Amino acid sequence: MSQQSRTLPAPGQAAVRNRRLLEILGAVSIAATFIFLVLTQPADITNGLAGGSTLVALGGFLLGAILLIIGVLPTLPTSTLVLIPVALVLNIALGQIMGSTGLPFYFDAIGTVLIAVLAGPAAGAATGALSSVVWSFINPTVLPFAAGAALIGFLAGLAARYGLFRRFYLAPVAGFVTGILAGVVSAPIAAFVFGGTSGVGTGAIVSAFRAMGDTLLAAITKQALISDPMDKAIVFAVVAILAYALPRRTTLQFAFVRRFNVLAGKKREAPDA
Amino acid sequence: MPARLNPPAAPNPLTALAAAVAAAAITTAVSSWAVSLAVALACAMLAVRSGVAGRLAPAAAVILAPFWLSLLVMHGLFFPEGRTVLADWGAARVTAEGLGFALDMGARTAAYVMVFLLFSFTVRVPDLVAVMAARRVPPQFGYVLASTLTLAPAISRKLARIRQAQESRGLVLGGGPLRRLAAARLQMVPLVLSLIEDAGERAQALDARGFNGSRTRTSYRDVPDTAAQRAFRAVALLLAAAAVALRLSGQWPELPGFPLQGFAMLWPGGVPG
Amino acid sequence: MRSVALLEARIEAFSYHGEDASVLHDVEVVAAPGTLTAVLGGSGSGKSTLGRLLAGWLSGGNSGQFKGSLHLRTSDLRASDLSDSGRYAAPGDGGPLVFHGTPDDPRIDAALWSDQVGFVPQDAAALLSTVGSTVAEELAFGLENRGMDRTLMHAEVLRAAESAGLTGLLERDPATLSGGELRRLAVACSAMTRPGVLVLDEPLGSLDAAGSASVRALVRRLLDAGTAVVVLGQAVDDLAMSATRWLVLDGGTVTARGTPGELAGSPALLQSGVVVPAPADDGSGLRCRTVDRQLAAAGPGTENPAAAVLELDRLSFGYPAGRGKTGPGGLGDLSLAVAAGQVVAVTGPNGAGKSTLLRHLNGLLRPMRGAVRIEGKDIAGIPTGRVADRVGLLFQHPRDQLFERTVLREVLFGLERKVGAAAEAAARAALAAVGLGDQLAAHPHELPASRQRLLALATVLAREPVLIALDEPTVGLDRHGLERLDEALGAAAERGAAVVMVTHELAYARATAHRVLELRDGTLREV
Repeated sequence: MSQQSRTLPAPGQAAVRNRRLLEILGAVSIAATFIFLVLTQPADITNGLAGGSTLVALGGFLLGAILLIIGVLPTLPTSTLVLIPVALVLNIALGQIMGSTGLPFYFDAIGTVLIAVLAGPAAGAATGALSSVVWSFINPTVLPFAAGAALIGFLAGLAARYGLFRRFYLAPVAGFVTGILAGVVSAPIAAFVFGGTSGVGTGAIVSAFRAMGDTLLAAITKQALISDPMDKAIVFAVVAILAYALPRRTTLQFAFVRRFNVLAGKKREAPDA
Repeated sequence: MPARLNPPAAPNPLTALAAAVAAAAITTAVSSWAVSLAVALACAMLAVRSGVAGRLAPAAAVILAPFWLSLLVMHGLFFPEGRTVLADWGAARVTAEGLGFALDMGARTAAYVMVFLLFSFTVRVPDLVAVMAARRVPPQFGYVLASTLTLAPAISRKLARIRQAQESRGLVLGGGPLRRLAAARLQMVPLVLSLIEDAGERAQALDARGFNGSRTRTSYRDVPDTAAQRAFRAVALLLAAAAVALRLSGQWPELPGFPLQGFAMLWPGGVPG
Repeated sequence: MRSVALLEARIEAFSYHGEDASVLHDVEVVAAPGTLTAVLGGSGSGKSTLGRLLAGWLSGGNSGQFKGSLHLRTSDLRASDLSDSGRYAAPGDGGPLVFHGTPDDPRIDAALWSDQVGFVPQDAAALLSTVGSTVAEELAFGLENRGMDRTLMHAEVLRAAESAGLTGLLERDPATLSGGELRRLAVACSAMTRPGVLVLDEPLGSLDAAGSASVRALVRRLLDAGTAVVVLGQAVDDLAMSATRWLVLDGGTVTARGTPGELAGSPALLQSGVVVPAPADDGSGLRCRTVDRQLAAAGPGTENPAAAVLELDRLSFGYPAGRGKTGPGGLGDLSLAVAAGQVVAVTGPNGAGKSTLLRHLNGLLRPMRGAVRIEGKDIAGIPTGRVADRVGLLFQHPRDQLFERTVLREVLFGLERKVGAAAEAAARAALAAVGLGDQLAAHPHELPASRQRLLALATVLAREPVLIALDEPTVGLDRHGLERLDEALGAAAERGAAVVMVTHELAYARATAHRVLELRDGTLREV
């Protein structure tokens, strides 16, 4: 929020700086882990077990996600915070509706992307990371992917910020690009923590690349580049449909939507007019 | 009252969490399928003793069964790094190293899943939230966790209600995938809309009730802790840290029964194909 | 009394973002200690917006533009203030807060404001934090946020629970409370910090007799303790009758103010959408009747007395209650025949199975034994979506069934499949019949609750079903809405449709239906 309540003491400069520091540390931790894994992987995987790489991947990505959560959460206004649990349930519930349609998509990031569109990149990143953390209470295997989920939320927020949701055909394009980046970041987790992917279908694709002699990381990355961009393009399109189905009164409640004119046709309410 | 809510037998949630984290970290550091399977078995026994086995077993099976199958196909048939060929059908080659890798990864993930499911199925979430708040974790984190678990059943009830209302309006569920997709969209719009509107209300209610993180929170719930549990937590985390440090430093003592070799020895001479 | 007012609100204008028309204009509300002020207005009169504004929920520019002033004085109730008083910079008694609808307007800190103005929204569940696993923790939530010491907090929770009659429920999960219990919990949560002013939006809405009596008793206790209570409502109910003052809100502004005696029967009240109870000599029925019982009863049945539109033949149903037992709310050997043009009302206490019965009429629930026949044909095996061509079932929550972008598209949905090219004309006619003919382009979710129900009704009417089934049709409807409902049902009955409604309002049932039945212990009997 841009303005502080007159009756609320403004948070101390030190507190703001500390949170900013946490966010930066979180991002650095994720980036450094990724670079380390990509640089060291060829030697490591053939040695059989990736014990060291596993620990680095788990530790670095999780630490980054947790720092992001702790850094971002206290800065979110309550109106955004209450949406996060809803988004987390949506990530799962809408996934279930899709499951009942028998279509081959997971759609487990719809809630995350929706928050990012309504409340911005920071909220999106925190939602993505929290989604993995809370979901891990039911399925612990999603926990290590927290960093990738945070990246999806962050990129979706950036896309909204720069007007990619104003044109309907741009949203899936943004989703496609997000999917590429998210897939590349998540692949080392699948490779070094789990040694593969959880679905039989994705497993078949990885197997095909392995048969051609790729390293495990390369095979899983290529598989991710096939599945993720498509999935995210659809998810972004679905969120665009949802966002335009919402009444104006609802979407304009969000300062992010008002300030950056996120949705077309929703007249900008200049707060300084 | 809180004393009655928490019979002395229940461990502090932090103790359970520390035990789970330490078990997962040490298992990963050790990187031996035998140790992993032992940890998973121990978790299964604990689950039976604490009466959650009935819920835990299906949850774990749903996660692990497809994962194992995927690993078996992926590494059992395609493992270009494998040297000890057990069977060869053109593109697909069964190698001892591949099977060993699948066993290692499968067992390690099983241990990891069992450890964290045991934790999440036995922990009392309100207690966990209370102790986290006392440890200065941002209260928003506890809010997201607890609220998601409360909202999940409420949202699935809401979805059922929407489905019934729409069927009563003449919406026929079923048919081809496209019609199902259209039906899903019709259900998602009112669901997402009412969830966002409810959340907006709740945000204002939370603000009015003082949930903005500007003051230190206290907790109504009193979660007992003991010196013995504190000591246990310290020891568990120290052990985990030591194991991780040892693995990362590359000084890990090579065990006599190194997993891959042990596995290969099951086929002395190695080549039945 | 009277001591100086605790809250004085002057609203010049308030409008939501993205809308040009103001929702409220020229409204003045004054709340004095120990008084009950009833703000009465129909659906869309702006009363819920007024409640939020008083509660400090809408200031701050996030929801809309506000021009006016709010003046709050510290209540005697808070003399023994529990928190540090140094922080009450703005709300305390620093004179009125003035808003110009500009960004440099004062921003109300909702937490500090709620120390002195408590608010319970129409949907009481929205006030709950969703993180309290017991009623006690839910009550304590606001105190936890204020950093209160645990021992003190326990004492405060016990005190609040006692005054709200929740002592026996402290260890219950809030999700399992009944409507009346939930409302009392919400009021108690708002009253936790002992605010001088309490604003309640439709506190008796959709409660049965026992539930509303318990809420009235709680409000009475708060008034006796010196709280200024403002109630917002769209019906002159028992709570409104006991009010000190009434404000009639119509079209976003106050059209009349005075004591209940002065305003009862006044033109301003009658013009507004407020539901007014009928005079005592007319039994206990509501005033707005257009269905003529004799006329409607005489019309149908004469042509073809044998043809029943709906036939329930020895219907049995039970919800499983685990371990093979049958839970409450089941149906046993229930039979009923409804003829064309007949209106049948089913009443009964909460949890008697009224909604269960209704869900059998279009196949959402299937009987364990017995049969449901529509125009003589058993609906067993026919999917609900197909049965819906002949049976229109309306639920209590209109928002659940609305999903299109405009009112017209909403009614058109699926209509073309049924009536072809005539769909547009049929949709417009149905919308005109419920009074929404001029709202074709509005977003269904931006309509007031009463109109949403009418829109849902129009979606059913447009399909001209032979049987119309309604779940609590009166809940949430203001007087204009009730009139539209009656007209529409009358017209449908004249056309030859059968109507079955389920309602907890016996007076309404008596006034509207040809037959009134009570559902008790799984069977129906005449009342």
